[in-house]
Amino acid sequence: MAHGDRNHHAKIATGKGDPQCFKGTSDGPPKFKVGQRVRIRNLPDIFYTRCQVYTRGAVGEVAVITHESPAPEDEAWGHVDKSEWFYIVRFKQKDLWPEYPAAFANDTLQTEFSERWLEPA
Amino acid sequence: MSTDTREEVLRHLKAVVEVQPPVQQTGKAQYSWNITHEQFRAYTRSPHDVGGEVDVPVEWTEEHGEAWGYRAYVTTEVMAWRGVWCAEERRRMQNVDLGTSQYLGLPYYGRWLLAAARVLVEGRHCTLTELINKIDEVKKRHGTR
Repeated sequence: MAHGDRNHHAKIATGKGDPQCFKGTSDGPPKFKVGQRVRIRNLPDIFYTRCQVYTRGAVGEVAVITHESPAPEDEAWGHVDKSEWFYIVRFKQKDLWPEYPAAFANDTLQTEFSERWLEPA
Repeated sequence: MSTDTREEVLRHLKAVVEVQPPVQQTGKAQYSWNITHEQFRAYTRSPHDVGGEVDVPVEWTEEHGEAWGYRAYVTTEVMAWRGVWCAEERRRMQNVDLGTSQYLGLPYYGRWLLAAARVLVEGRHCTLTELINKIDEVKKRHGTR
């Protein structure tokens, strides 16, 4: 329903798919590289986000740079005119959960973030 | 800074359990000075962000699809093709806007169906009065309460 045109999103995605329709629409190249250590920012989380709270403040490494898309916080209200890079970040489970058993010290967890949630660690 | 954030996050995940579900609480519409920052964040977190919350083990069972559920799914897909909402708007309405009790308590496609009705009203495709009258008409037609 962005800009009063309720078919806005459907129009730009038709024949391309989503998120393919947002390729090349972010401000520039990705700010982070695969393998880089990143910390998850602790931004306010009212109303809507897909940044899981349990990751905030934790440090992981970029596993994959995936695609460009509007951030969930914007797209959840139909705002699709600004895009960001998305990343899959890999954490060690023991860095997320203090009580994680030492016997499984090599266990990892991967989850996805838009660029606004990352800072260099 | 990161250590502070990690401690806050881990306290938050415990605080969430203390404030939900709200029906179990003694205090209703509390005075602001009774609500700590930690409780405020626990109250206002997105209901779908359940990762790390304390819970009992859940037994894994195979879900058997029901016809009404498939119809709800197809309805919401068609609404997307028609531009009524995109996937992220759907997730917000199906998983977050309805609050914790409905998110945890209702059937999966029940939440989809409620959100489909809500977006028609929120998006001004129909009025709530029209929706209420239609539901009432259909109930009478089928002789249900």
